[in-house]
Amino acid sequence: MRHALLIAMKDLRQRVRDRSVILLSVIAPLGLAVIFSQLLAGATEFHADYVVADLDRGSVARAFRDDVLGSLEDGGVATIREVDTEAEARAAVESEDAEAAFIIPAGFSAAVGGGTTASIEVYGAVQAGLETSIAESVATRFGDGVASVQLARATTAELRGRPLTAEEVGSIVTAATTSDPALQLVDVDASLRQLSWSTYFSASMAILFLFFAAQIGITSLFEERRGGTIARMLAGPVAPVSIILGKAIGAFVTGIVAMTVLIAGTTLLIGADWGPPLGVALIAGAGVLSAIGVATLVASFARTAETAGAASSAVAITLAIFGGSFSPVSQGPEIMSSLSLLTPHAWFLRGLADLHGAGSVLTDALPAVLVLLVIGLVTGGLGFGRARRLVAVG
Amino acid sequence: MPSVNPTGGPGGPGATERRVVLEASGLRKRYGQLEAVKGISFRIHEGETYGLLGPNGAGKTTTISMICGLLARDAGEVHLDGNPIDVGRVAAKAGIGYVPQELALYPDLTARENLAFFGGLYGLGGSALRSRIDDVLGVIGLADRSRERVDRFSGGMQRRLNIGIGLLHQPRLLLLDEPTVGVDPHSRNSILESIAELGRSGMAILYTTHYMEEAERLCDRIAIIDAGEIQAEGTRRELIGLIGGRDTIRLAASGDLSKAAEAASGVEGVVQAGVGEDALELVVRDARGLLPRLLAAVDAAGANVRGVEVVEPDLEAVFLHLTGRALRDSAD
Repeated sequence: MRHALLIAMKDLRQRVRDRSVILLSVIAPLGLAVIFSQLLAGATEFHADYVVADLDRGSVARAFRDDVLGSLEDGGVATIREVDTEAEARAAVESEDAEAAFIIPAGFSAAVGGGTTASIEVYGAVQAGLETSIAESVATRFGDGVASVQLARATTAELRGRPLTAEEVGSIVTAATTSDPALQLVDVDASLRQLSWSTYFSASMAILFLFFAAQIGITSLFEERRGGTIARMLAGPVAPVSIILGKAIGAFVTGIVAMTVLIAGTTLLIGADWGPPLGVALIAGAGVLSAIGVATLVASFARTAETAGAASSAVAITLAIFGGSFSPVSQGPEIMSSLSLLTPHAWFLRGLADLHGAGSVLTDALPAVLVLLVIGLVTGGLGFGRARRLVAVG
Repeated sequence: MPSVNPTGGPGGPGATERRVVLEASGLRKRYGQLEAVKGISFRIHEGETYGLLGPNGAGKTTTISMICGLLARDAGEVHLDGNPIDVGRVAAKAGIGYVPQELALYPDLTARENLAFFGGLYGLGGSALRSRIDDVLGVIGLADRSRERVDRFSGGMQRRLNIGIGLLHQPRLLLLDEPTVGVDPHSRNSILESIAELGRSGMAILYTTHYMEEAERLCDRIAIIDAGEIQAEGTRRELIGLIGGRDTIRLAASGDLSKAAEAASGVEGVVQAGVGEDALELVVRDARGLLPRLLAAVDAAGANVRGVEVVEPDLEAVFLHLTGRALRDSAD
């Protein structure tokens, strides 16, 4: 064990001096996480500016204005500004002060109460397609509610033998159109629902580049064999297994240090929220093990340090694509979600996400930790077993 | 094997009383169809520098690799101070210092860090390690550059550090595998002086080289090795004695030197004729009496002789005598 620790410490000393290792293990993932999170921050936080011109001033119009649009404002989805005239509403859209305008015509409430056709006009800016679509959806949903109210009104009037008052219609409309949230933005990916974008990209880049750092252990075996230092060690009182163990320890410590710096860096720079420290430490440790294992197994089939590095890198990128490091797997075909379960990347992200659910506890992340450990131990065992040929005496 | 010591014992005065440090017997190694080492045996005593002199491909590195347990042998035994050495006997290797032919250093570490790492592997630590590092840096002349990265060193300095690592743990036996290959003359001289000093300090040394001058300068006993076999073994004087009262004539010449060598070998008194680099290498009896007839024969064979040099017998002549080939030519 003493020899293995000496070899690991020597490797770590060399890595501190190797700028390419620092660049690949820390600076590149940190930089990309910052860039991606900044680029996508605006695209993932929806907010619209709407104006509403209530020319009706009736109870149903008030229900739409106060309760439906009010719920958008309360939810932070939109800012609602009232204007007095239709012209002001259209002008606000054309001057880009608002992305869309709701124009409630005079007589709207009466029409709803009378069971005749009523409409709300949505006037949207050409360049604000998403905001206009959402405005249309809000109005359409309200319209559906109104239709069901009209049906209920006709039925009630038939049963009670008198028409409903305007106030009764208004309260029914409110109940019908706001019983559920007026607008739901539905995430399609469970991990996205739980990890912020900054955390997602920080974790994605960390596990991606961890594979580059992890391959250093075995590629240095190739280099040392070529450089004659392996032979020099074996000519002394050093067992081959000590060299393998030393390389594995060195790679593990390198990975842990890189991961720790990344977690601290992304937390400070872009406000990534990795989760409870103990849970993150477990996932990070298991992730490092799995990365070392996979990288070592792949590289063990190579004949030189160069081909080992190239093969490990190619596999790292491929696994990252399938594992959701570049985009959430749920945004792709169904098969991608299934394939992602074969990658450490997906389990790493899933483990972190499991720590972020409402009422999550540490044990929620244990399945992912267990899978990562199994991947690491199996592939690492096979990889370092194959790498024994690099420290074999003839 | 022509040998002045058929038993493999040392030939130097008083050597027989000294303790045997290394005993190699019957070493054999085959690579496919090629038998690289064919039953080599020798002993090295305490304080003795033993040379393996032979051209590239003679089996020197294979032999040294089997001795230090880097290479599994097909047959034979190696004992260090009476203890068997083998690839699987890891602890027993601690008594050996190995200096490989190629530089085996970490260029991104300093000289001191390289020494500290390898010293640690041999169990040294703390103040003992620091003290040994200082001692070795002094021996190899790098004390004032010890905190510089090795990749900033000259080739000669790197060679010296390569040797220093082998000395660090004060081994019972130091194996030096052609340690001066590719080194400039000044650095080579410095390295040879360091090794001579180690020999005087009582360390047992096995030194392989294809440079005759190095073997003559450093080694108490020399084994001439060729084609995986020891051709002869003994002190320099004893080896030269193998060719009797013979002289070596070197004829610098141009033309068909093979034909000239054939013609020369037909002259009475010529014992051995070989072709070197732009020269004929001849081992003869009575060089002065023979020279006129020899020049006539070579001239008749069409060679154009530009110079004549009669030299005292040396290991080059012994190698030529034993193998029929010039060592210099074989080594290239």
